[in-house]
Amino acid sequence: MTATPESVESTPIETYTPEGEYLFRNSREAVRRLPFPFPDDEYMYSMNLEPHVPAGDGALMAAFDIDEHYVSECAHRAQMLREMPGVHYIALPHMMEAQWDLLELIFESYARDFPEHFTLLKNGNEWRWQNRPLGIDDVFTFGDPTTLPMDPMEYATRQAQGEFVVLEEKDNTLVIGAGMTTQRADYSLQFNMGMNFAEFHGPVPKLHEMGILDRALKFLLRMKPGHPVRRVNWSLTVHPRLETSVETLPEWAPDRATVTPENAGEMVYLRIELQPLHRLPRSNGMVFPVRTYLVSLAELVDHAPDWAKRLHRALASLDPELADYKGFHRYHAAAVAWLSQHDDGAPLATGYPWIEDGIQPGGN
Amino acid sequence: MLITGIKSRPVYDELTPMADGLVHIAAAQGSGGGPLLRLLGDMTPEQRAATTVLYSTESFTGHNHLAALQAFDVFDLIEFPSNAAAVSGLDALLATARMGTRLYLAGSEGFIGTSMQVATSYGMNRDEVLREHAGSFVRRVWCAHCSHYSENVTKRVFQCPGCERHLIVRDHYSGRLAAFQGVKADGEVPGELPDNEELDT
Repeated sequence: MTATPESVESTPIETYTPEGEYLFRNSREAVRRLPFPFPDDEYMYSMNLEPHVPAGDGALMAAFDIDEHYVSECAHRAQMLREMPGVHYIALPHMMEAQWDLLELIFESYARDFPEHFTLLKNGNEWRWQNRPLGIDDVFTFGDPTTLPMDPMEYATRQAQGEFVVLEEKDNTLVIGAGMTTQRADYSLQFNMGMNFAEFHGPVPKLHEMGILDRALKFLLRMKPGHPVRRVNWSLTVHPRLETSVETLPEWAPDRATVTPENAGEMVYLRIELQPLHRLPRSNGMVFPVRTYLVSLAELVDHAPDWAKRLHRALASLDPELADYKGFHRYHAAAVAWLSQHDDGAPLATGYPWIEDGIQPGGN
Repeated sequence: MLITGIKSRPVYDELTPMADGLVHIAAAQGSGGGPLLRLLGDMTPEQRAATTVLYSTESFTGHNHLAALQAFDVFDLIEFPSNAAAVSGLDALLATARMGTRLYLAGSEGFIGTSMQVATSYGMNRDEVLREHAGSFVRRVWCAHCSHYSENVTKRVFQCPGCERHLIVRDHYSGRLAAFQGVKADGEVPGELPDNEELDT
């Protein structure tokens, strides 16, 4: 249904690690379909939730987006799970019903939105799942974990792009009960497991003071199955590295000190997080997926010049406390300096790119 | 990365007798003996007769309330030489506990946290447990890089005995791990350590 996923099968295996020499590149099409998260020249932290309905002609057409990096990202997930067992995937025992909910949601969405790649055949609880890009053709009994080679959540999310955190509703809050998070931005799943909504948002500055958290939680608790909502978030990172967990910080944090105004275009990546939230039907749980997109500043300039200008302005006016929280205060100025060479100051459209009259990538 | 001012530290209660309890377990460590004395004083003689007291004499501040606790006429009082032994004792006791058991915890954050891990493993809900902090706010810290647990941490920056990295202690608390998070303090530029300070102990 979208233009991009047809390239899924032909994509060579990209890498997201230094050992793999970061062999990750975006095609022009992949850049121009991104859910670019800056509707205004000035960035304001906000909840910015909207109904998760198909929009535009890019990453927001599908319930769970996949793109040209699908096969590579699944390979990266398998590698991370192999290298650090027990760190990236955890599910508390009482979350089994929610695991099946999640498997169903992902597989139904993929099969509906990308029928050329995925097929889900149901005969009562006897399901057949075909994943052509990964060469999988399995039969299992929905609800019976013994018919799968691993937990249903692990099975489904090993075949999905993005990370997935599943929360249970308990005592009027949402509590983390399971997660597949091989591409975490600076937090620990082991540490956050079992935390409630206020606790796991503890390290985010300003939220408590602004009352955003209470309002967000009230909103989320009213959510019903079949009516997902989404928001976008972002950060900067160095190299196309997906796995930036707290656990491995000693490996990747030194990269932050190597960015200069000269190399920022190649080294600094905008990390876009598309977060579509779904209420789960049987367990009444909530899934909080984080679909992460990486794009270098240079790729933005080459393929989406207006987005590069917008990013320049948003970064230049950013609250230093947010730069610190997002972890790039050390190279913030270098990124702004590099981008400034590519901003002529021309006025830009406001609004997300997937709404009418929103900011488009620019160029041709 | 936010280090201070994170709002995930537990909020503690004040120990008062839970009237709907049929059996009471009161576990404390060091200064936590103080709140326990007050709790036992507030109980009816019947409640006291249904109460088992577990007390560890290990203390960071040196307070020992054992003699005063022995003055109460409780069902049983068991003394432990260390906090770890008391938590194991609690585990053994809860393994035989019946419905209607109420748990009271008092002492250091590390003691309360590790005791809560045990209580949670038996499916005890928050409304069946009261927790009162007493004594020093020394911290139990989990190293995010080697998973070593350090007890009684008082400094913002310290060296992890597990991996020898210098860790900075974030004000970020995990009830599941019963610990604060320690992260490499000189992550970006090795050797460039932030200013050290006493934690709010």
